[in-house]
Amino acid sequence: MRLLLLVLMMVFAGPALAQTATPSQVLDAAVNKVIRPAVAAFKTRASGLESAMGGLCAAPSEGALAIARQQFGLAAQAYGRIEFLRIGPLMEDNRADRLLFWPDRRGIGLRQVQAIIAEQDSGASEVTLLRQKSVAVQGFGALEYVLFGTDAEGLAAAGAEFRCRYGQAIAANISGIADQVAMGWYRYDGVASHLTRPVPDNADYRTETEALEALVGLVAHGIEGLRDTRINPFVAQGGEPAKPKQALFWRSGLTMAMIAADIEGMEALVAGSGMARAVGPDDAGLDNSIAFEFRNAHRAIGLVTLPVEQAVVDEKQAHALDYLIIVTQSLQTMIGEQLSAALELSVGFSSLDGD
Amino acid sequence: MWQRRAFLKAAGAGFAAGLLPRQVEALERSDLVFASSVQTAAGSYGAVLLGERGDVIASIDLPDRGHDITISREAGRGVVFARQPGTFAVVFDPQGRAAPVTLTSVEGRHFYGHGVFSPDGRLLYATESDFEAARGVVGIYDATDGYRRIGEFPTFGTGPHEMLLMPDGVTFVVANGGIETHPDFGRTELNLETMDPSVVFIDRRDGRLIGQLRLDAGLHQLSIRHMAIDGRGRVWFGCQYKGAPADKPQLVGYATMDGEIRLIELPPGTLADLRNYVGSVAVSADGVTVAVSSPEGDLLVAIDAEGKRPVLAETLRNGCGLAADGMGFVATSGNGEMIGMAGADRAAQKFDFLFDNHILRVG
Repeated sequence: MRLLLLVLMMVFAGPALAQTATPSQVLDAAVNKVIRPAVAAFKTRASGLESAMGGLCAAPSEGALAIARQQFGLAAQAYGRIEFLRIGPLMEDNRADRLLFWPDRRGIGLRQVQAIIAEQDSGASEVTLLRQKSVAVQGFGALEYVLFGTDAEGLAAAGAEFRCRYGQAIAANISGIADQVAMGWYRYDGVASHLTRPVPDNADYRTETEALEALVGLVAHGIEGLRDTRINPFVAQGGEPAKPKQALFWRSGLTMAMIAADIEGMEALVAGSGMARAVGPDDAGLDNSIAFEFRNAHRAIGLVTLPVEQAVVDEKQAHALDYLIIVTQSLQTMIGEQLSAALELSVGFSSLDGD
Repeated sequence: MWQRRAFLKAAGAGFAAGLLPRQVEALERSDLVFASSVQTAAGSYGAVLLGERGDVIASIDLPDRGHDITISREAGRGVVFARQPGTFAVVFDPQGRAAPVTLTSVEGRHFYGHGVFSPDGRLLYATESDFEAARGVVGIYDATDGYRRIGEFPTFGTGPHEMLLMPDGVTFVVANGGIETHPDFGRTELNLETMDPSVVFIDRRDGRLIGQLRLDAGLHQLSIRHMAIDGRGRVWFGCQYKGAPADKPQLVGYATMDGEIRLIELPPGTLADLRNYVGSVAVSADGVTVAVSSPEGDLLVAIDAEGKRPVLAETLRNGCGLAADGMGFVATSGNGEMIGMAGADRAAQKFDFLFDNHILRVG
């Protein structure tokens, strides 16, 4: 029996190991198997958040607040899985910044949100008016303060109507943007068809090489951005102490969950598209190496179980965060340089950072 | 001259690669010399001097990725600036008589990759970031005193990028890209909603603002970054657009010290192929043709400065570096290629290193 199993494994493992993907298959799978389902999931979660905020404002209670907070976490993580998709609809109308203005280096958003709540600014409690305001007060960062910031417990009872309506408007705004992002990815002759069927007349992706460069670049730049904006700013480094309040979502305790979601999103695009399998035989091990490093990232994230302000001073968990930084550097090199070279792409040697 | 003879001595201690006999021979045939930051095949960084036929005359190693290079005959030195947000600049002697010297940006500042010497070569100026205050400054270095930093003045904007000295020798023109970054967050762009790019003219003697020019308010996400000065003293600039990808704003324009700033009309097809990104701008030796490049769109465009219309478009994959070359231009790419365009009679060459965004004609 054991021998039979071994033979069967060899029979099936052979083709699996040799499996390769063409650029066309990679592009099609990226869009149809990964990106479109992910933006649709975000739309669903954002809609759930909007409903939960509506429920909380209509009938405040401990339970309704708990549900709103839970839906906030689910919607934020669903966004985390797509936020690296900085092409197409997410880059129009400042949508990425409207959804999550981060980093907020000088705490501008926080001050503005606090002022809106303190002054009961009626221009912020109605979604069409809210959209006219600074991007920093109309997305997840602002809603986190509404739901988890100072005096947020008051939302569970009557008397916090304005704060709740403001939160409701933010949720409606997030939901509206999620609709637009999803529609953008499903639209006929939109970014999805340009990526999957690049033709010279397209203004964005004219060849399969350009489309692949965009996809690979999204992951390479996404990993870099994750490290630069979500991990580096709050861990102790170079003699500087840790700054846990520089961590995204420290109030809600979702810092690591959001990092995990970011990693999951990029991992899904790499694995689901097969981009690292569209390489020659000399680079056939790259797909496994990248998958292995993504697993290392998850393992490190899994070790950080304390709230960030405690994790950064806990020896073992701080070490896990340091290790996570190394893993992201490794992933960036593997994808931005090795995979890019294996696919004969030029992922931004000249244009990566607008120089 | 900075040409053959000077470089025949370039095998000094300062250079990683001395001159081999075949290079000496190549150099003897060279009338022009170019300089560029590069990434080597092994992944390390450096800068190279190339003869007009593409022979590598000399090279220096860099601690990290370099960007633009400026050279002063009067100072007898060249400077490679680190790519933003870099913290080093390497001063080198193109004649190889002295070892390179590495400068480090002062606390609270980093380099933006560009700078110029004063006409007498006694001062070096560099675009820098005062990142805590999110404002650009021009750092001033004394070339006669070990490149000691002796002061700075503001660029009256955020995210300054290229700076040039106007033909009058006293006025700087600086492109404020308008984008805020901070080393705590790598290269993340922190203010895309509120960007405020501008072209400024500054008196280099006292840092006084002579004029500040902005494009229409609706174009506040059009980052002005690279420039070149034509034969009539107009400052041609190329932009990178940070708004919605579906928007297709014009990307090339010019500014004058009289206060005029305008974008020229490139045809829709050319504009689309620039992909909202101009990486480099150069003017031909006779001052009448402007070249712009887009490594995003793999496109090089030559523009008639008088007619303000494109006269040639050429494809170069990942092409960005541009410099005047005879009657036309030499263009380099992030894939290691060098070609001639718009009248430059030059066979295409492929190197085993990758060119950074800019190439400088030294002699």
